[in-house]
Amino acid sequence: MKKLLLACLLLLSHLALAQTEVKREVIGRDIGQLNGIRISARVIDEITGEALVGATVSLPETGEVFVSDNNGTFDLVLERAEYNLVFRYVGYEEVQYPITAVGDGRILIRMIQEDFELEDVVIFGRDPDKNIRSTDMGAVTLSMNTLKELPPFLGEVDIIQSMATLPGVTQVGEASAGLNVRGGGADQNLIQFAGAPVYNPTHLFGLFTSFNPDMVNQVTLYKSVIPSRFGGRASSILDITPKAGSVDKWGGDLMLSNYSGKLSVNGPLVKDKVSIRGGIRGSYINWFLNSLSNPDLKNSQASFYDANLIISAPVSENNEFTYSFYTSYDDFGFASDTTISWKNTSHSLQWKSQLTPKLNLEALGYLSQYDYSIFNEAGSVNDFDLNSGVEDIGGKLFLQYGFSETNRITVGGEYKQVRIQPGELIPTSGPESGILPQKVQDEFGTEAGIHFQHEFELGEKVGVSYGLRYDTYQYLGPRTVREYAPNQPVTDGSAIGETTFGDGDQITTYDGLGPRASLRYSFNKSTSVKLGYNKMYQFIHLISNTATIAPTDVWKLSDTFIEPQVVDQYSLGFYKNFKGNIFETSVEVYYKDQENVVEYKDGANLILQNHIETELVPAQGQSYGVELYVKKNLGRLTGWVSYTYSRSLRRVITPYEEEIINDGEWFASNFDKPHVLTLIGNYKVSTNTSISATFGYSTGRPVTFPEAKFDFSGNNLAYFNLRNEQRIPDFHRLDMSVNFKLKGKGKFFDGNWTFAVLNVYGRKNPFSLFFVDEAGAPPQALRLAILGVPLPSLSYAINF
Amino acid sequence: MRRYIYLLLLLLLACIDPYEVDVEEGPQLLTVEGFLTTEEGPHVIKLSRSATYGSAFEGLVRPVREATVIIRDNLGNVTFLAEDLDNRGSYFTPEGYRAVVGRSYTLQIQLNEGQVYTSLPERIESVPEIKSLDYQIVRIPVEGETNERSGVQLIADLDDPADQDNFYFWRTGTSTFILKTRPDLFTERPSDLEPNRDPDPKDCCDTCFQTETFGNTGIFIANDDSFNGLNTKLPVGFIEDDGIRFVETHRAEISQISVSAEAYRFLRLVKQQTEVSGSVFDPPPANIRGNMISLDNPEEVVLGYFMAGAEAKQEIYINAVDMDFRQPVTIIPDDCRVLPNTTREVPPNWNPN
Repeated sequence: MKKLLLACLLLLSHLALAQTEVKREVIGRDIGQLNGIRISARVIDEITGEALVGATVSLPETGEVFVSDNNGTFDLVLERAEYNLVFRYVGYEEVQYPITAVGDGRILIRMIQEDFELEDVVIFGRDPDKNIRSTDMGAVTLSMNTLKELPPFLGEVDIIQSMATLPGVTQVGEASAGLNVRGGGADQNLIQFAGAPVYNPTHLFGLFTSFNPDMVNQVTLYKSVIPSRFGGRASSILDITPKAGSVDKWGGDLMLSNYSGKLSVNGPLVKDKVSIRGGIRGSYINWFLNSLSNPDLKNSQASFYDANLIISAPVSENNEFTYSFYTSYDDFGFASDTTISWKNTSHSLQWKSQLTPKLNLEALGYLSQYDYSIFNEAGSVNDFDLNSGVEDIGGKLFLQYGFSETNRITVGGEYKQVRIQPGELIPTSGPESGILPQKVQDEFGTEAGIHFQHEFELGEKVGVSYGLRYDTYQYLGPRTVREYAPNQPVTDGSAIGETTFGDGDQITTYDGLGPRASLRYSFNKSTSVKLGYNKMYQFIHLISNTATIAPTDVWKLSDTFIEPQVVDQYSLGFYKNFKGNIFETSVEVYYKDQENVVEYKDGANLILQNHIETELVPAQGQSYGVELYVKKNLGRLTGWVSYTYSRSLRRVITPYEEEIINDGEWFASNFDKPHVLTLIGNYKVSTNTSISATFGYSTGRPVTFPEAKFDFSGNNLAYFNLRNEQRIPDFHRLDMSVNFKLKGKGKFFDGNWTFAVLNVYGRKNPFSLFFVDEAGAPPQALRLAILGVPLPSLSYAINF
Repeated sequence: MRRYIYLLLLLLLACIDPYEVDVEEGPQLLTVEGFLTTEEGPHVIKLSRSATYGSAFEGLVRPVREATVIIRDNLGNVTFLAEDLDNRGSYFTPEGYRAVVGRSYTLQIQLNEGQVYTSLPERIESVPEIKSLDYQIVRIPVEGETNERSGVQLIADLDDPADQDNFYFWRTGTSTFILKTRPDLFTERPSDLEPNRDPDPKDCCDTCFQTETFGNTGIFIANDDSFNGLNTKLPVGFIEDDGIRFVETHRAEISQISVSAEAYRFLRLVKQQTEVSGSVFDPPPANIRGNMISLDNPEEVVLGYFMAGAEAKQEIYINAVDMDFRQPVTIIPDDCRVLPNTTREVPPNWNPN
């Protein structure tokens, strides 16, 4: 027995030795070739077999770095020599691969996702000096592994809230779903999962993001110069790519926290050909509510789930089909008479193909639906259902041709049809109902865009990327459109007639050219300056009288009265890395000009409103800011510090006195927060334990204080005049988490405990201040704090 | 969306508490509150000046005295309103004065200091009758307390006319109810001279009729967009159960008043403001613009609204025994006649069934 053990140990140490002393591989058939040796290297995920797009290989011998294409392939042209290739990809362990190149050949590299066993964690380590070298401005990619290092929210990594830790990205307040990117509205972000737009990716009114992190490969936020292949939203693109299952073996993840649980399974449907990944996540808050004694709360319900299915078929080395399905559902009822529910569903089918080594094709079709309902079932004659929704059907085609590693052209087009059901009220108490059915006219529109982008380098120092996108939009019938008297404010009273458009008739059309350009000048390998400009068009508006995205919001297409939003953004950035890319720093400055954003008339009535134009006033926006960013990528302590000074302003331009807001002067938007500071750190205590902390500070958001009080019908009322002139108190909060990795037996049962506390020192950060006159107290200001106490969560996750 | 906050409160995350803010000294703007209806007067117009937001110590809303107030209709009839010297700032129409359906009315004010104000004309539209009133018990959980509040929600049954756009405002009128007290438990308030704390029962009286006029607890309004031309049932008032009002029989009265579209918009903003919850879903505070303008300075802001409309009254008797939930009875150890607005006489038209 002892001998056997010894033998095993010996064998193990031998294996370990074999792992550290990697043999230099000879590539190619030696026919005496001296140069022009073509080696094609492809990197894939060891588990899933998925091609790793955007991985890098560096050749220390020549000092060159290459980025893998859409197929995960590098095409290297080398001289006959020995090379120590180093492959890197964000969230994966680095692979050292020494070769001797003697002739044309291929290499297949299988990369492994990095784990806590690593001494050092590399964050955003896709390509260490990418921030300096690329012409991309303001594009940030976070892998799920990076996000998992941040303190979790209610036991879970939250994609959207994590984005708000980046410079230039804020949220209105705690538990609000929308992002405000560089002073843009929450509706100006395109959030897409597997290429399909998602309209309201939230659970519990914004407490949670409804994307299950286990189903996500990576998340990229474009906030500055947006590549021309994206369009349709004015401020930013949040591109979330799904994670394919393994083509090799079955596995899964299970996580339980004190708020929710989730399970996912993935594996080969057809070995090495077709993989599947499915996941479901749900809450048990309902169960908690039902255990309470208060009858109203006991009869309340709040539940949610989300589910994903991803089927990926890498049918050949050059062709891959992926089908992705996503759905999220919430319902929330109070005292069982009114239930609010919302649901997102998206399907997308993607085909990626490498037609030739230089030409890649990507085609995508999608269907995305968002539905929102209120059911009133009080059992009276006034029971009703109120439904609204949005449906998008579209397709995209994208071609990329690479003349060389540093000279690429992309062209493509996209088309989509949008149908909006703004609201339908259906009485449900039968014939004696005291409610009339009501329906706001459905809206139909089509958007089409064609785009072109060219990216190239002029020597070492200069990189250029320029592109153009042409968007065209049609607003279509059937619809009855009002006409209003000229030179009068648009109100019910100034309507003078109606025109009826038939099915498919064009009511109005808009189009526009959106140039995108960025220029990079490198002073040296670790310092560069970049300049960027872009113009974006948006043909959809979120009609919301609240400060954030709420499920009750109505989406509205651009029409005769509400013109498309147009945003011009100018940006300038300075980037410098220190100590061999361990520290990244940047300073970015931007100015943004927004046309045709909407403001609301005082007390606007937006629900079931057939003539929404009578409740809105056109406005302009402008925003500007400076973003400072320092990041440590490597070492036991990693993290970043960002500070942003920015302003986001609005101005109403109207010739009519009754529509003027704040005397026609610029005023702060609802999400104007001049100073924002974020500190994020992750410290590896030992090989299996890490601690992370996030601290955020921001100026309080604008609020309107009453100028006076007056009496009316027994109430002390507040007289409000100028909007957003004051501010709520400053926001600051510290979150911390401890992550402890249990080593299970073998590789199959590794457990991961995460204990997190949000709002460690329990600050009552006001979400809002509001003014009430309630019986028994003088009229006064009240403060609503969403997270008013330290909030602990505990979760346990295993992989199998 | 206040309910959403309940959920957060319940998850022990959210909290609402008073917060000190420095509010600048507020301007003293003329405020007009008045309601002229087709019922027999007197009708009252109240004039006051706004004050700094906050408690009475921070700013006191003061009446505006000695103004000249007239109501003029579109036929040129002018009615003078007289200030009630016991209740300064309140100006009453003559007894019996009432508005007429189809006419337009304008309120005109001249202050003692000489400034002149006028309202925009308000036209009186007809109002349908309330066919009947019904009620249901509403229970309101109170955060942090085991006892719920409760009360009676009044529900009107009405036939909305199909041929016009109707805007309704419901005003809770004067209630009359049987008041039960316990004169047998009467105890003289102990004083230095009379430190005795023993009961000193009175002989009379344990049953009275009390009348009470409520301020509006909540603003009840509706437009007929969703029920034009239909028979409908709508909540039109709320009377809180304080352990005194619903002990035996309670007669509640509701006025259904037609208001103009502009007045409805004003009331909707008032309602919106009184129902603000501070949540994510609150609309931003709105400037509540009224229908009064200054003739001397068009820039001057005048608060409030002069409303005029047709009125239809309906009443309902609520028997305590029929109520499925009541507050515990409040014991008043005294003669019922010492309480305000009480009488031993059976009120006119008192006929519970």
